[in-house]
Amino acid sequence: MAPLNPYTYIQCPCSDSASLGRPSDATSPTSADGDEEDNAFDPRAPRANFSLYPLEYLLYCEDCHQIRCPRCITEEIATYFCPSCLFEVPSSNLKSEGNRCTRSCFQCPICIGPLSVTSIEAPPSDPSLLVPDRAGTPHTTYSLICSYCSWSSTEIGIQFDKPNSIHAQLAKIRNGGASRLTAKERKERRKELSHRGGEAALAASSEAAAGQDMDLETQFANLKLFYNSQLADPNAGDNGFSSLGDLGFSSPSSLSRIMNLYTGGKLHDPRAKSKLGAMREAITADEGLLETDLDESSLITQLHQSDFLDTASSTQICSQPPNLGETYIYGAARFNSSLRPVPYLLRTKRSKRCPVCRHIISKPEAKVQTTRFRIRLVAGSYIPSITIRRLNLPGPNGPAAPAILGDLLEPLKPVHFVLTFKNPIFESLKVTLGAPAKTPGRFPSKVTVLCPQFDIDANTDVWDEALKENDRESSGRSRRRAGTESQFQVEVGKIWERGRNWVSIIVEVVPASLKLEPGRDVLKQDEDVLEIPMFVRIEWEAEGGGDDAASGTGRDKDQKEKKELAYWCVLGLGRIKQG
Amino acid sequence: MSRRPPRGEYIETDTGNKVARKATLVGTQNIMLGGKTVIQPEVMIRGDLVRSIQSSSSSSSSGTPNNTAVAIGRYCFLSRASCLRPPGRFYKGAFTYMPLRMGDHVFVGPSSVIQAASIGSHVHIGARVVVGEFAIIKDYVRVLDETVIPPNMVIPSFSIVAGQPARVIGEVPEGGHEAFELRDLYKTVGNNPQPPAS
Repeated sequence: MAPLNPYTYIQCPCSDSASLGRPSDATSPTSADGDEEDNAFDPRAPRANFSLYPLEYLLYCEDCHQIRCPRCITEEIATYFCPSCLFEVPSSNLKSEGNRCTRSCFQCPICIGPLSVTSIEAPPSDPSLLVPDRAGTPHTTYSLICSYCSWSSTEIGIQFDKPNSIHAQLAKIRNGGASRLTAKERKERRKELSHRGGEAALAASSEAAAGQDMDLETQFANLKLFYNSQLADPNAGDNGFSSLGDLGFSSPSSLSRIMNLYTGGKLHDPRAKSKLGAMREAITADEGLLETDLDESSLITQLHQSDFLDTASSTQICSQPPNLGETYIYGAARFNSSLRPVPYLLRTKRSKRCPVCRHIISKPEAKVQTTRFRIRLVAGSYIPSITIRRLNLPGPNGPAAPAILGDLLEPLKPVHFVLTFKNPIFESLKVTLGAPAKTPGRFPSKVTVLCPQFDIDANTDVWDEALKENDRESSGRSRRRAGTESQFQVEVGKIWERGRNWVSIIVEVVPASLKLEPGRDVLKQDEDVLEIPMFVRIEWEAEGGGDDAASGTGRDKDQKEKKELAYWCVLGLGRIKQG
Repeated sequence: MSRRPPRGEYIETDTGNKVARKATLVGTQNIMLGGKTVIQPEVMIRGDLVRSIQSSSSSSSSGTPNNTAVAIGRYCFLSRASCLRPPGRFYKGAFTYMPLRMGDHVFVGPSSVIQAASIGSHVHIGARVVVGEFAIIKDYVRVLDETVIPPNMVIPSFSIVAGQPARVIGEVPEGGHEAFELRDLYKTVGNNPQPPAS
């Protein structure tokens, strides 16, 4: 079993709907704590998973004086960028080009490693990008090669003429090397045909379209054009069922409504509404009709002949950009040999807002390359951090074996843990702890917090401490009783150890025995982990803020204001030995 | 002579570097340490793999060639049996090595092999990690144990990566930036180490 490192998770109040946005000043009565004690937090409750976070993941709203977790904050995207070339993508490009990098950044479709452009003529390890004189020769072609699994785009029959703007080149090539029309080219070709005019030209074009395997984009473009022309000319296919047809799929009004849903236009086009009458469906390839190829025998024989490893996994298919280069809608990639290079998905930098007061609580610099933050209100700089250390007391018969963190806990044998609370703020903190005497769950362990109330000194300047180092050494650190093992005992109500801005206390735990009734029950996953819920209430005196005058009762600004914050946390101490 | 201190496990330099006597540093004249860097025993740094072809810009501007093979910033920590090796490739038809640059507060876990082109600041690389040639790791990146980063991969800031091959599996939270600081870790090793702050 994997060893368990002790952890501290803090519950975000957002899961408790009553406390959301509740101001936690000194004015709030202690009755709030009274009702919290009644329903002690259960870390094993199914909902608890969603509200427990390590301290690093939590933010803090200075206006609400409350912890905020990744689940309750609202995010705003500041910058889009490609994670490979680290170029920023303006949001206008995003609408036209999609959320993938349109430079030459591609991932291997097999192993997701990065692909690099390599010339085929030159020795394989020589990237011809750096050989300008040779790149000019017309016969040099380039391919994308994965340096992790040695996949090459030549395997799917794709080669490039130029080493740059791979994305644009790839959009024009179908697997196997056949050319693929881009939307613009398709439009131009259509225009050309219509210019030539006449039925003969149309017939010729439809024949050509049917012959050359209409792909998904062409089919969609044809269908769209066809239906648009139908909408413009409602009487073309009027067959007398106009009143009935209005409800069906084939009426222009319902069609225009559906089209509007997808294109985001106005829901009700008054012009379309007045026009009634059914439309006919596409009947030629030029209008977007594509007969489904139900003969899959070639595919089945290919599956028979191929290995399981030759077929694409669902994650590989999911990472493929949708509808890119697929010939048919039914021909979705089934084999590794039909997967295409995946352009990198863009990544974002996001700023975060408090859900209640809408103040920004985290805001990164917009530039991609900088790692600074304009605003970064993290919970770690407002609430004390709790670290857990196992204490090994020498037993009556000689010194105890050195306990290592992650060791299994002996059932029914008292163990002591040192909890160190570190104060991050510049005021002294008053901490009150509460823990249920028995942990919730099927195997209740006994928990005793030996010192539930204590003060932590302010987080003063580091240099002050350095100057006072000698004093501290005599007064503060002298409480470290490690040297004198004869007096080595845990006292109730006493602080174990104290430093500049931290205090250590002892928690005594008697782990439950994991005896199961034979044959009836099994141990559920992680049920042997000893987790103790703990209610932490911190009080401190802050400078009277001008904005918080509403909560104050007309006190002077200079006067210190009492602040309070209370939350549940869960201490994961270790696994209990079984059997 | 009696006042000479006993030989410790580490050599501590004027700039605060702590280099284990049992570390293997090849081509030390090509290795730049920014200071306060810890190099644990059995670490190997291949400073001998120096660039054999000078880039046209640097050779024309300055007469003395820049021979740095490995450049390391401040407060870096190279754990036991890790290896730093400059990456190499063909350049203008000949094979050459390129310098490996490392920012500040970079932790390299035990038995990891680094062949990156550049590693930013505040980067944590776990144990038994392989960083492929010419990989670029930006600032505030956490690489979990046993990751294999393919050659030429770029890892943007605030990423958590894992897997073979590496993929981005998460983001470093806002509150996790301070965990990359290695000042306290620096104090815990050396010839007279301090106990870790509780």
